[in-house]
Amino acid sequence: MITQPAAIDDAGSGHRLRRFWESGPAGWNRTLTTPQVLIPFFLAAAVVPYALQYVEDNSSWIGAQYWTLILTTCAMYACLAVALNLVVGYAGLLNLGFIAFFGIGSYAYALVASDQIHQHYPLWGALLVVIIITLAFALLVGVPALRLRGDYLAIVTLGFGLIMRDLILDLDRPPVLAGHQFGPDTLNLTGGTNGIHQVAPFDLPTTVPLIGFVPHYRMYYWIFLGFLALSVYCMLRWRHSRTGRAWVAIRDDELAARTMGVNTFKYRLLAFSMSAVMAGIVGMINAAQIFNAFPSPNFDVQTTVVVFIMVILGGLGSIPGAILGAVAFTVPPFLLQQFVFIKYLIISIILILIMIYRPEGLLGTVSIRPRPVMGGTLELITAESAVEASELPPVTDTEAADLEETAGAIVEDPEWKP
Amino acid sequence: MGIFLQQLVNGLELGSLYALIALGYTLIYGILELLNFAHGDVFMVGAFLAAGVAALLVHNEVAAVPAGIAVGLMLLVAMGGAGLLGVGIERVAYRPLRNASRLAPLITAIGVSLLLESAVQVGVSPAPVLVPSNALVPQATIHLGSIESPLTGVLLFAASLALMIGLDVFVFRTRFGSAMRATAQDREAATFMGIDVDRVIMVTFFVASALAGLGGVLFGLRYASIDFFMGYLLGIKAFTAAVIGGIGNIRGAMVGGLLLGVLESLSGGFISTQFQDTFVFLALILVLLVRPQGLFGQPLADRA
Repeated sequence: MITQPAAIDDAGSGHRLRRFWESGPAGWNRTLTTPQVLIPFFLAAAVVPYALQYVEDNSSWIGAQYWTLILTTCAMYACLAVALNLVVGYAGLLNLGFIAFFGIGSYAYALVASDQIHQHYPLWGALLVVIIITLAFALLVGVPALRLRGDYLAIVTLGFGLIMRDLILDLDRPPVLAGHQFGPDTLNLTGGTNGIHQVAPFDLPTTVPLIGFVPHYRMYYWIFLGFLALSVYCMLRWRHSRTGRAWVAIRDDELAARTMGVNTFKYRLLAFSMSAVMAGIVGMINAAQIFNAFPSPNFDVQTTVVVFIMVILGGLGSIPGAILGAVAFTVPPFLLQQFVFIKYLIISIILILIMIYRPEGLLGTVSIRPRPVMGGTLELITAESAVEASELPPVTDTEAADLEETAGAIVEDPEWKP
Repeated sequence: MGIFLQQLVNGLELGSLYALIALGYTLIYGILELLNFAHGDVFMVGAFLAAGVAALLVHNEVAAVPAGIAVGLMLLVAMGGAGLLGVGIERVAYRPLRNASRLAPLITAIGVSLLLESAVQVGVSPAPVLVPSNALVPQATIHLGSIESPLTGVLLFAASLALMIGLDVFVFRTRFGSAMRATAQDREAATFMGIDVDRVIMVTFFVASALAGLGGVLFGLRYASIDFFMGYLLGIKAFTAAVIGGIGNIRGAMVGGLLLGVLESLSGGFISTQFQDTFVFLALILVLLVRPQGLFGQPLADRA
């Protein structure tokens, strides 16, 4: 008798799981972005380091810190994937210089938090500098490129990424233009190939009330996780705001969006610069976490492709998909170190296969499959209306007259013959 | 003045290489409206194929061949191989997405580009590979007054020019060329006119990629060192050249390539070698701002 309620519960939960499974990508996406799922997910993710520590303390396994670092990298890439999802998934803009903004954020923070140019800003000042600098670069690229169709944006941003890489590598000496040197001989902004070392971490307290001492690696895991949670929250709020609907409208049909009065340039620029600033902040956290800003992989185009494939595997426009993609492409390289040299070979093959066989990704709701051609659409419409017409009772003369009067429609008279 | 002319000559030499690759971008873009990111890497694969042939034939006692035949074989293998690679890429990666939204083939193209780069990096060599150029072509320098240019540079320029004229004749004077232009104008209407659009696209990819392969051979002979990443920057610059000339416009790509080469060479010589590439992209952004359809392109009124 006691087991009966449990059995019903089981059936109930099984039913719910089955309903979840059958709801398809759009349904999965909807369920996974509810607060009932997201809040427990982030809380659970936040206590994972303690679980790892507990296992380490009570067994011969050591690796709590290593696995926390892997998770930190996951969280960092998830932040980047969510930010890229804003520009590619929501607004449909192919920003191939995306990772450059991450690098710009790293270097901007490194410059104001190290001895490179002898500046040591407090956290909030540095954050402001990072936001202003990444925003300035985003506007510099976005304003000319976003007035044009997508392909130009792709190539301009790709070129921008390369220029930034060159500048970072070359600005370890004062710039020389037409024989004129700008700045003193000792001017070294970026440290060239060596990057900027001894970047100060954030000036945060190392002991937190109620929790006590927090080691560096765990602190930065939480910071990335917190920024991820903030990004996810903002993305979900934006999606259903006026701005988010404008982005999706532009992505799906730019001409229609413009016809409806959407200022496409403004909203594209907004998506482009918001995403750039988010990437810049992630870069800043990364520089503080590893105490360094390096030209590679901060500015490598391969890193952009890696973040792209995370977003695409998860599904363009899907937030849980981006997180899933980030985990799926961050953990294996750590575990399969001996295959790291063919990492990009594997990643590019996976990318091509996904694009051919499931371009909308695992959780994607954006269809980038072939669109029906015009002829097909027309056939579909006529076939549908033929069925409806045969099932409906014939329209009487008075009804027809009413319709013609109210809707201005001309109703066909079935008995009329020329 | 002497320095200016010298830089001009250097620029034309570099520009003819850009033009060869820009032609491929423009041909493919004209037909499919696809920005083929992998094109620069097809150029790189062509260079590696040529280097492979050279490595087999040069300093080989068993099969001692005259340098002329060796270069001919390099051209044949590199152009044929690159052409087939281009056709294969189109068949496998782009054709399934031909009617998809614009984003899908673009992302696939990036994937193909990364695939070619990492395949060569892992399969052939992560370090630069030397091409035995001095055993294949005479290393003479041609003097004209105070201006000098290596023979390979002149060869590069002459071969590119000849190929461009040949391509121009092919596209504007032959029956197949008119089928290509019809496909570029309106793919559906071309189908109604009895043009086998799939075949036209295949041939376009072959021609475009073979030109890139030729560029690879000439690059190897001129600079004697190639690496897996070289197609990346060169490809972007060539695309810039195609945009400057007006994307989809064949003669525009040639002029754009030469212009960009000269611009790069002059800005490197007179302003700063440190920021040479930066000027190239500033030029791109300027062109996009002032005349987005390029120098010879049609207005993009309905393409914004």
